[in-house]
Amino acid sequence: MIDLDVHLAAIVAGDAEAFARWLAGAEMPVRLSLASFAAVVDVEAVVQEALLRVWQVAPRFVPDGAPNGLVRFGVRIARNLAVSELRRTKTRPVEPADLEDHYEVRASEPDPMLRRAIVECRDKLPAKPREALDARLRSAGADDDHTLAEALGMRINTFLKNFARARKLLAECLGKRGIAVDQELA
Amino acid sequence: MNDDLIEEVAGAYRPRSTDELRYHPAWHDLDAKGRTRAYERARALRPLEAALDPDGLSTTARAVLARIRR
Repeated sequence: MIDLDVHLAAIVAGDAEAFARWLAGAEMPVRLSLASFAAVVDVEAVVQEALLRVWQVAPRFVPDGAPNGLVRFGVRIARNLAVSELRRTKTRPVEPADLEDHYEVRASEPDPMLRRAIVECRDKLPAKPREALDARLRSAGADDDHTLAEALGMRINTFLKNFARARKLLAECLGKRGIAVDQELA
Repeated sequence: MNDDLIEEVAGAYRPRSTDELRYHPAWHDLDAKGRTRAYERARALRPLEAALDPDGLSTTARAVLARIRR
């Protein structure tokens, strides 16, 4: 099992590059821990805010000695934030499972073979879908899709259709290589 | 269900705020099923994005780093 706490000392010292390496493995466990809130809370907003707060409070974090302590801390922050949102919005009652504090965390690293296959499939995309995909990647959440579409000279619905096409073609290409892809991509 | 809205909400863009959680505006236009689909799509997309990034970072991770570096 990967222990992302190898980056902890550097993160506590304020090393943003170390935090980036931690983020690469920590984001998915934090996101997965919020699955039960997906219908009632904007999980993407909670994930980003929780990860930001991990960085802000990391200097005061006290490890418990078990692996991935900082990821488990991030999961706790994220789930507490989601529960606060539930209480604020009153979308549904807070249930005992929402307050469960013991959430299994599995940090992982990307498979280099899979990574190569995804890059090769991306390189085969037709021009317009590739433009939409690349615009999202370059922007990295800084601009909304309306802004990205305008910069590419596309209508918003054309931009979104091109992005969806890129997603589906990537999934199709990976599938042809025998790589199991998430149903939601296809 | 509007798939364009799901596609938008599945992206990493969220309005900037220094002191509160900011939802994607389109999230409010989705029903529970659409919100869950947007979550599932984001969960599926982020590893692809990370694979296409030289540092293995998704757009979510990049958005967080941009906020700490501001």
